Amino acid sequence: MSHHTLINRRTCLKGLGASLSLPLLDVMGWADTVSGEVKQPPTRLAFMYMPHGVIMDQFWPANPESFLTSPPPALKSLEPVLNKCLMMKGISGVGTGPFSGAPHALELSTWLTATLPNSDKRNEINIAISADQIAANYVGAFTPLPSLELATMPQTWKENQAGLNEAYYSHCSYRSPTQAVPAEINPRNVLNRLFNTKDSSGKNSPLGTPLDRSMLDLVLGGARELRRTLPTPDQQKLDEYLDSVRSVERRIAAIELRQKEAALEKAGHGSKNKKSTDSPPIEIKIPEGDKRSEYMQVMCDLTVLAFQTDTTRISTYIGSTPNGVSYPELGFNDQHHSQTHHRNQPEKVEKVAKITEFNIEQFAYMVKKMDSLQEGDGTLLDHSIMMWGSGLEDGDTHTRANLPFILAGGGNGSLKTGQFLPDIKANQGDLLTTLLTCIGVPIDRPVGIATKQLKEITTVL
Amino acid sequence: MSCHAKNTQVPLFKYLGMCVAVLSCSMCLTLTRHAKADTDYAEQKAAAEKSFKEDVAPFIKRYCLDCHQNRRPTEAGVNFSPALPKPQDAAFHEQWKKAIARVRAHDMPPDYADRLPKDEDREAFLKGVAQIKYLSPQDPGIFIIRRLTKVEYGNTLRDLFGVTSDVAADLPDEVSGAGYLNSLSPLQIEQYLAISEKVLDEVFPNGSLPPTERQLALFGRKLSKSSELSKTDVQQIAHSLAKKAFRRPPTSEEVETLTQVFELGRENNLSHPEALRLMVKAVLVSPQFLFITPASDGEPREKIVPLDDYQLASRLSYLLWASMPDDKLMKLADQVKLRDPEVLKSQVKRLLNDPRSRALFDGFGAQWLGIDRLKNQVFDPEVFPEMTSEMKWAMYDEARLFFESIVHENQSVIRFIDADYTYLNPTLASVYGLNDQVSGPEMQRVQLENPRRGGILGMPGVLAVTSFPNRTSPVKRGVWVLEQVLGDHVPAAPPDVPALESQDQKSVANLNLRERTELHRADPVCANCHRLLDPIGFGLENYDAIGRWRDQDEHGEAIDAAGELPDGRKFSNPTELKAMIASRVDELSRNLVEKLLAYGLCRSLEGYDEIVVDELMQEIADDEYRTQTLITAVVTSYPFTHRRVEEDRSKK
Repeated sequence: MSHHTLINRRTCLKGLGASLSLPLLDVMGWADTVSGEVKQPPTRLAFMYMPHGVIMDQFWPANPESFLTSPPPALKSLEPVLNKCLMMKGISGVGTGPFSGAPHALELSTWLTATLPNSDKRNEINIAISADQIAANYVGAFTPLPSLELATMPQTWKENQAGLNEAYYSHCSYRSPTQAVPAEINPRNVLNRLFNTKDSSGKNSPLGTPLDRSMLDLVLGGARELRRTLPTPDQQKLDEYLDSVRSVERRIAAIELRQKEAALEKAGHGSKNKKSTDSPPIEIKIPEGDKRSEYMQVMCDLTVLAFQTDTTRISTYIGSTPNGVSYPELGFNDQHHSQTHHRNQPEKVEKVAKITEFNIEQFAYMVKKMDSLQEGDGTLLDHSIMMWGSGLEDGDTHTRANLPFILAGGGNGSLKTGQFLPDIKANQGDLLTTLLTCIGVPIDRPVGIATKQLKEITTVL
Repeated sequence: MSCHAKNTQVPLFKYLGMCVAVLSCSMCLTLTRHAKADTDYAEQKAAAEKSFKEDVAPFIKRYCLDCHQNRRPTEAGVNFSPALPKPQDAAFHEQWKKAIARVRAHDMPPDYADRLPKDEDREAFLKGVAQIKYLSPQDPGIFIIRRLTKVEYGNTLRDLFGVTSDVAADLPDEVSGAGYLNSLSPLQIEQYLAISEKVLDEVFPNGSLPPTERQLALFGRKLSKSSELSKTDVQQIAHSLAKKAFRRPPTSEEVETLTQVFELGRENNLSHPEALRLMVKAVLVSPQFLFITPASDGEPREKIVPLDDYQLASRLSYLLWASMPDDKLMKLADQVKLRDPEVLKSQVKRLLNDPRSRALFDGFGAQWLGIDRLKNQVFDPEVFPEMTSEMKWAMYDEARLFFESIVHENQSVIRFIDADYTYLNPTLASVYGLNDQVSGPEMQRVQLENPRRGGILGMPGVLAVTSFPNRTSPVKRGVWVLEQVLGDHVPAAPPDVPALESQDQKSVANLNLRERTELHRADPVCANCHRLLDPIGFGLENYDAIGRWRDQDEHGEAIDAAGELPDGRKFSNPTELKAMIASRVDELSRNLVEKLLAYGLCRSLEGYDEIVVDELMQEIADDEYRTQTLITAVVTSYPFTHRRVEEDRSKK
């Protein structure tokens, strides 16, 4: 650690100016890069996480009938869009197996993998590719970024319950069984990455020249020689690196294609898929202070903007990791985790309920904003599937029988929204598999422990 | 090749042949010592086999196997079936360590088991397990390629290009742990590209050539703007550049790739400086730069070989500087001299005396003390408004300057515990109540009169990272002292243990923290371990959660800091506790050696390493536990200077 790294988020954001103006974005249609043909808006898929479970009687709707008319307290902020939401109770999590001593390492790492870490290699990352990355592998080729991974706090937590690798505590996205995907926590970096905006020194970011692509090609070719001299496990490490370089190459290619299309469009040869009624790109305001709500909202805004501009179609946001977060904004400094072990003491229950409400409010902020953005014949929300959830049902007892999930958005008509299914009898792998089907990912292998798809929630099966 | 200079260190006889060619005569003397060590080793191995057969295996079968055997799911993921036929296998090393901790704490077998061992069986078992190391084959471990950490990456750019290390500040912090450091997202690659772009702008200002000095350092020659570069020129430049950046001589293919990048630039109408810039950019995104990779060693005939001098130079400089080897180290590597133990020792001294050795604290010392967590630790602003970021910084710097003073002055590691000085600035002096001793705003060395202070046990940063946001945690402090200071293995708490807050509030309302914690110990599940942890933690209760001295706790109750160590020795206050810990300098040094060796090798220690550490300990004790001796011993040790050749080498 050197001096410069010991700054808090406030310092980090200070001096950036309250509002960053975006470069002139040519918001284009949704090219299917392979055929060049454009159909309807693409379906986007996002996941947003809160650790430690919920207060159940304040989260689950009383019954299907009252879901829309008198929703439970936790869902208040979603009321205006509840008819575009879908909830189902009875989605169980992965059994803890040999890791009953590691509920919090499991809650996040199994959330999108629906798979337990490999117990023989528990000190390493050895789990399964996560649903968002499966999706990114399939639809990611059509956009400049295959996927976006965001988090609110640094993913450095030194704790290894039950001997599990500490990264399991803070990562939900896995690009391969052995590769956790780090998430970005600095909104400015995300903005740069999404739109190649100018950096602090006023220079363009370095991506995007065809020459770089050719240079990377040569470097990749040269690395083959090195690879040959390495033992197999080292070859794997190198391959993971080379894969990342290759994906950067692809990204440069995607950007080039966009630029070409933009030029054509300007010259009057553009595709006809963009409607004049479509909303212009939203503005991003990077907050000056360190209020958690403002911070989370700018991350939500970035997700919305990335979807709106079709810069990516897949996004994950770890709203907080399962380690020591507190919410001074809510009027108390207790850490989230300590309050979830409430043993039914009313004041703790109330604090957990408030924290849950707060997190759902940020999710609601995002989906409501998406619903305000016109796109084609509907709103951005209509063309997306936004999932909010936690990896535990009850943080006090670490149960995982009824994992809390909220789905929002119509997914281009693929989701049966506006209903609450009180007893669905399925597992989280089933749910993830079904969502992948909804966005058009052909499923050759179910996600994790999945055994079936959920016809109850989708129109496409 | 420390083993030879180290005399008693490692029985390394059979591998000596290949090293002899490059050894100086002064080392011949060591051969006889090795012969003796070899005999000892054989005896120890035989004894270990015997005690495993007679004491360990029967104990496991009788008391453990019912729950911990080949059956899924095994209890707590612990399975002794595969460990019995090959106890020395590295895969079981951690498991044996944990077994020792649990059995010693009487935590296992559990009280409700049908059969419980007698104390002498327990003792024999513990002794037998401790001997398992002697069954391990001689093994320095393979040379694992790994990516530079964020800090190493920044420092390497600094030393290569003269930029400041915070050019890498945007990279995400990494989590350690096997495997993780190697995982990279495309996002990070883009950040690497962005960072290299920033660096290149500084190195090639406005697209022109770097200043002469930098040209000489990078390209090995001075270029003029107009001069045409022949293919040979470009190849020579590429060679010079790649050797610097890859920290070893490049292969001809590597030179060829970089030459092609230059030509690519020229074909695309780049000027010479611009094409060179592209070449440097290619170097910066090459895996050979971002990873510490071995030079190709052809077809080694032996299974265990000494590190080549370049690997050794990198291992050394990344350990002590968290950066690339400098010209002097590279020159010694060119001359194949670095492997000479005397040369290596003198290089350790030189590197430690360089300001870059601050990295040893930032990378290692801070992690050891746990004080690297301080920056992200949250304190309740209502209870501790003093914990500003200035305060956290001062605490971090105090620990750093203190650590550095002990290393630079080559003091005994015992001073980590019982030093009579520290470093304060006015902010931190308020925690000590020593404002009148500090003049001026800078951190300064302050002599401490009161024995309550001095050393890491009474150091505010350490006391703060082992506390909760709003109060002290005697349990965390107890674990910290046992694990970080004495190197004990403390079993993890069983799942679903209620924290103190969860106790029935009414029934504990009238109890102070100590009484409440002791109540918690009344539960037999908790008692065995907390019996060991809590007394130490309570011995430090006179320091509040940010390290201020107090005689009463936050409820006005007098602090009761009396207790005893696991070995039964009693103390009545923190000063006595400190003296007792200081008397255990052997454990403290051993712990430091193990942690430093693991840090240097980037892997966890296994069976054979323990034997190595045993040997190192003798040498360190002989020199009064001086820190530089300890560091030198690690650097010249067998696993640090050797590697096993991975047999599974693909011939694709």
